[in-house]
Amino acid sequence: MPRIRGKTKTAEILTLEEAVKKHVKNGIQIAFSGFTGMNRNPFAFSWEVVRQGFKDLHSIDRHGSCCTWLLNAVNAIKIQETDWLGWGEMAGKIDLNMERNYKAGKMIIEDYAHGAMAFRFLAGAVGAPFMPYYAPLGSDLYNPKYDALGRAGLRDGKNPRIPKKKFIQMEDPFWGDGEVVLLPAARPNLAVLHVLQVGDKGTARWRGIGTIDKEIAFAADEVVVVAEEIVPEGELRKYPETNQVAYFTVDTIVECPWGAFPSAVPFCYDYDVPFLRSMDAASRNETDLKKWLDEWVFGPKNWEDFVVKLGTKRLLDLKADSVTGYSTRLLRGKKPAPRMKMALSVARSGY
Amino acid sequence: MAKSIEQLMELIDVIPDEPSKVGEFILPELMAVASAHEVRNDDIVFAGTGLPMVGIMTANYTTAPKAMLIYESGVCDGKTMHVPMSVCDHRAAYQCSTIGGLVDTFGFFLQSGYVTLGFLGGASVDKYGGVNVTSIGDYYKPTHRFTGSGGNSDIGTMAKRVVYIILQEKRRFLERNDYTTTPGWWCWDFKTNEWKPKREVWKNTPFAESGPAAVVTNMGVFRFDEKGEIYLESFFPGVTVEQVKENCGFDLNVKKVKGQTPTPTYRELFVVREFVDPELIFLPQKMDYSKEIQAIIDKG
Repeated sequence: MPRIRGKTKTAEILTLEEAVKKHVKNGIQIAFSGFTGMNRNPFAFSWEVVRQGFKDLHSIDRHGSCCTWLLNAVNAIKIQETDWLGWGEMAGKIDLNMERNYKAGKMIIEDYAHGAMAFRFLAGAVGAPFMPYYAPLGSDLYNPKYDALGRAGLRDGKNPRIPKKKFIQMEDPFWGDGEVVLLPAARPNLAVLHVLQVGDKGTARWRGIGTIDKEIAFAADEVVVVAEEIVPEGELRKYPETNQVAYFTVDTIVECPWGAFPSAVPFCYDYDVPFLRSMDAASRNETDLKKWLDEWVFGPKNWEDFVVKLGTKRLLDLKADSVTGYSTRLLRGKKPAPRMKMALSVARSGY
Repeated sequence: MAKSIEQLMELIDVIPDEPSKVGEFILPELMAVASAHEVRNDDIVFAGTGLPMVGIMTANYTTAPKAMLIYESGVCDGKTMHVPMSVCDHRAAYQCSTIGGLVDTFGFFLQSGYVTLGFLGGASVDKYGGVNVTSIGDYYKPTHRFTGSGGNSDIGTMAKRVVYIILQEKRRFLERNDYTTTPGWWCWDFKTNEWKPKREVWKNTPFAESGPAAVVTNMGVFRFDEKGEIYLESFFPGVTVEQVKENCGFDLNVKKVKGQTPTPTYRELFVVREFVDPELIFLPQKMDYSKEIQAIIDKG
């Protein structure tokens, strides 16, 4: 079914609770911004999704994250279409909630790879039905036997969000450059982005890596931008080349300081390694997990209450340096970070 | 008294660039340095999270300062001062040339053919360098479910040379993987349902000759012969060829063994300890330097 757009949106400023209530429904397909559990995860948004009790979500993403970890903790994800299921990197590689649900047959996992998923979202963003990509021919990712959504009978065309095939392999008809894989566009219902700043009309800006956040914003039908701060639109238009998301794709704006915690927002705060480790530890058994959820998700009155509960010391340690964009006070390993002024490679050999 | 970072930098050239002795380094340091030796100064390197990052940073700080580092989250040529814990860690992006996203790194850089070296991890590897990071047992009913590809399969097939860092165990070195996430020099052609050389499956693509070049484990360094089959090239100090064979799930070719893997030099160890991972994120501990080296450090 072709998608007709042709309308700019007028972004509405809502609270976190209102935004979740307005945009999330049971069973929708949803994509979150950031990369792994460490960078710009809209954690506060997924936290509120869990508090409001939504279920059966179809997560389509390039990564496992703090968001999918939390949603899997309450078994709210029914389909996880992804290319990487880890979430906490060195603080917790495997999402144990996901592993438990998957082994119990409570969810479907459809595997892709990073490049493939990036190209699927690029296709969705630029309005192309599919995109060709080389890698990885010969991988079980493109073994016809391993099509989880097909096996579950979900590629029958009834769900407009699920393509009729996982992929098609074909010979390049134009240049004769061997076999390529055609990947279906990703077309989620909802994209949720956490950014540094958003203008009050919806223009959004982040600093640091972009992963595929611009693509998910254009590929999705509805877009929620959660930001550390809402600023006058005109301020962002002084340096438009540093903005990434066009205002006319944005439906809803939410101001939510520390809303990506425990992941980082470059130039604002760093990722919280001890907190990520405590999440990983809690997911090791269901009693601890329930205790953790009661304390950190269902306990606080609202997100602000959650942030207050984190305590001043923690927030001070996480506060990003204004020049590097990350915290050099944060104890990530066993010793404090050295006071570097430049990379050793630069000091010795230049750029 | 603790030395400033400037004083430590000045010491680098004073520390002898001579092989250290067994007992003066720990295994992760040896692995980091052995993998760093795979990097050439003109490489464009695409590295994954974990030990590969430590290896690539070690190379960048020692023998390959001009090697350009790409991290999959969108970073081009970061000049990293503090070891990142993830490819999306903003530490990886410090003073990078450009910053974008996955379409940049997997499309503009990788699929367009710029990347000369991939640096990756894996849960298991087969005889031809095919890697599994997805699942053990039946795919739909796995005994273990891992993270899945991430960038492994893209980088592992489209970078010109690929180096894997994998733990050496019988269950990780296999004749055939339960699930091939990243094909090695032999793989399935799903169109004809045949097990074939990668060269044939990828025929006419720009990546027919790209693939695994080396595997670094906790026991030694492995390479691939002209048939695409893995062989042991060198073994770590304190390890015998027999032990390596015992920790391999197939009949390993050991006919081409050159000898023991070179130990890290004192200078390399100094750089790894003081500059690559002084925060002890990846390294479990910081070893004491030998008396002679400590005397040089104290004097400088």
